[in-house]
Amino acid sequence: MKFVRTILVLLVLLTPVVSAVEVSAQDTVTIEWWSVNSEEYSEEAQRALAEAFMAEHPNIKVNLTILPESGFQDKMTTTLGAGEGAPDVAFFWDTNWYPQALDLTAYIEADPDLGPETYFEGFWKTRAVWQDKVVGLPLGVGANFVMYNKDVFDAAGVAYPTDDWTTEDFIRIASEVADPDIKRWGGDRPRDAYRAIWNNYGAFLYSDDSTTVDGYFNSEANIAAYTWLWDLVASGATPTPADIEILGTEGTGPVDLFMAGRLAMATLNQGHMLNAIEAGVPFGIVPEPQVPGNERYVNAWSLTSSIWAGTEHPDEAYEFLSYWVGPEGQRFLMENGNLFPSIPEVLAEYEYADQDYAQAFFGVLELKQVAEWKNEHPCFGTVNRAVSDVWDLVELGEIGRDEIASTLNDYMDDAQAALDECVPRLGG
Amino acid sequence: MVSTWRNMSPRTRREALEGYLALLPWIIGFLAFTILPVGISIYLSFTEWDIMTDPKWIGLDNYERMFTNDPLFTQSLKVTGKFVLFSLPLKIILGLALALLLNLKVPGMNFYRTVFYIPAVISGVAVSLMWMWLLQPDTGIINTLLDQVGIKGPNWFWDPDWALPSVALMSVWKVGGSAIIYLAGLQNIPQHLYEAAKIDGAGRWARFRRVTIPLLTPTIFFQLVIEMIDSFKVFTEAFVITQGGPLKATFFYLLYFYQEAFENFNMGYASALALVLTAIILISTVILNYTSKRWVFYESE
Repeated sequence: MKFVRTILVLLVLLTPVVSAVEVSAQDTVTIEWWSVNSEEYSEEAQRALAEAFMAEHPNIKVNLTILPESGFQDKMTTTLGAGEGAPDVAFFWDTNWYPQALDLTAYIEADPDLGPETYFEGFWKTRAVWQDKVVGLPLGVGANFVMYNKDVFDAAGVAYPTDDWTTEDFIRIASEVADPDIKRWGGDRPRDAYRAIWNNYGAFLYSDDSTTVDGYFNSEANIAAYTWLWDLVASGATPTPADIEILGTEGTGPVDLFMAGRLAMATLNQGHMLNAIEAGVPFGIVPEPQVPGNERYVNAWSLTSSIWAGTEHPDEAYEFLSYWVGPEGQRFLMENGNLFPSIPEVLAEYEYADQDYAQAFFGVLELKQVAEWKNEHPCFGTVNRAVSDVWDLVELGEIGRDEIASTLNDYMDDAQAALDECVPRLGG
Repeated sequence: MVSTWRNMSPRTRREALEGYLALLPWIIGFLAFTILPVGISIYLSFTEWDIMTDPKWIGLDNYERMFTNDPLFTQSLKVTGKFVLFSLPLKIILGLALALLLNLKVPGMNFYRTVFYIPAVISGVAVSLMWMWLLQPDTGIINTLLDQVGIKGPNWFWDPDWALPSVALMSVWKVGGSAIIYLAGLQNIPQHLYEAAKIDGAGRWARFRRVTIPLLTPTIFFQLVIEMIDSFKVFTEAFVITQGGPLKATFFYLLYFYQEAFENFNMGYASALALVLTAIILISTVILNYTSKRWVFYESE
């Protein structure tokens, strides 16, 4: 009996303690955050960022899970598709995931510190807004530009390219600086159509309303862009696709060839720029060449960071998202990693912002983005696949310069059929 | 006679129950991870599904499109068919030839067997990257060696005429795996049959033709079926190296399936593609099985 009484007393004494623990657990909300590890934002930096956030927000616990890139893609697709198990906050880097992202419009409107004006306009348009809804916030920026190796140009006695150069200048300069005797190429070739140079020509795959390829795929602008590619291939000043594939670096661009001085000009990105600085390679940066009289484009990207529409804690998730992708978080990742923030005000604080290369890089971020059209046209990939032979025929030198227009016409039916099949399914 | 549950003794019943209990994990696994996904795939093949929203029933539309209005389906089937016809005989013959070599009684044979088996266990992606380097037209070792003997090597993966043979060549590199199976078959052939043939005056070639080949036909048949299925499923090489090009010369069926499912978010159509491939493999296997009655011999026969 004494034993039973002791147990009862202990239970009565423990009850307030247990209740306190329960109350404390109820007050703390856990946010699941999925991310990946990269040179721009290491796992260590992201964990430190989560800790810093939790120190400021003791009622929110952020549980960070780092996944490999391929695993991230698969897990996000399957959990979003299944409608359960997805993280509260994550990168929504695939536009097909956007329907599952929480509409942040109301949050943004109510947020005095964060809004469209906070970010670069181009990245807000392409990475935050989708179908008139705010589906996420853009984390970091990246862009393609042409890097030229100053040593190679100096040795060849050729003047550096300038910001206002044209596509014709590109071929001319590449030919001048190339030297087949020492296996040195002048400039690389694009890896696919309908990127910056195609858009600079005013060439798009199909109509803006996604109804027809006629007048677009076979347009004068498209013929001009493919003719430019034909001329570049014929110039012999550019590596073959096999050379690029092998001597390029993991599909990201021929940075190794460039650094070794075997490629005078290469279309690279800000990560390669940092590699070149580290290697002590003297270089300059210009935007991809323009076509006089036309709007100039840049192939740029950012990571849409979103809240899953199925989250049980949207307010706390937004609290974290706006910290992570807002000025504080992006500044933290810039100072503790290699992230270039998508917020101009924070980017201006970059340690080497006054350097020429940094100014040139910042300059291309202001250009109109290739993604602006592509994001609004989810059938682009399907239609482009149907006509990819045209690209191969030009690259392989299998057609003559005067056969480009007729070849494009030969693929009109395939392009239209692909568009007609895809638009009812994915929209236009 | 099969006993019924009613007339079984308690002990037999207990043993039967224990047997089924032991089988249960496999049965659950088979139902959950094979039958259920196949059933769902069959259902999805009659739908339009972008993964993110609910599947929409569209009846036979996916199949109708596939057989009447999809040039990429025809192209991928043609390319894969060519690859099977080209690579399968190569793999069967070279696998057998390698097994015969590995069956020789020479010192250090276990080392050679291990060396030849290694390619079979290396990741397909790593192998693809390695072959990309080997077959690089300007700097690759194969063309460099060909150049030494005055032959201008082709552009391999980057030439529409050579891309498919290049992938077939790559697949041959992995014959070490099938050679081990052949080797097991070779070592199961009773020695006394060779001795009897020798006494009858049979030479090396006659012994190989009259004893080895007939008694190896069950293994050859097994390998034929397995390698055929494997050839139909070719994917990694195209995914890593060629992306289906140039000029869709390596646009394999599974690459098309992958693009439709995970890049084009057309999961319903991809399910239909998967089922058609399953049917093709099933029919090919049935045909092979039917013909096997004429050329496969078992020791007991």
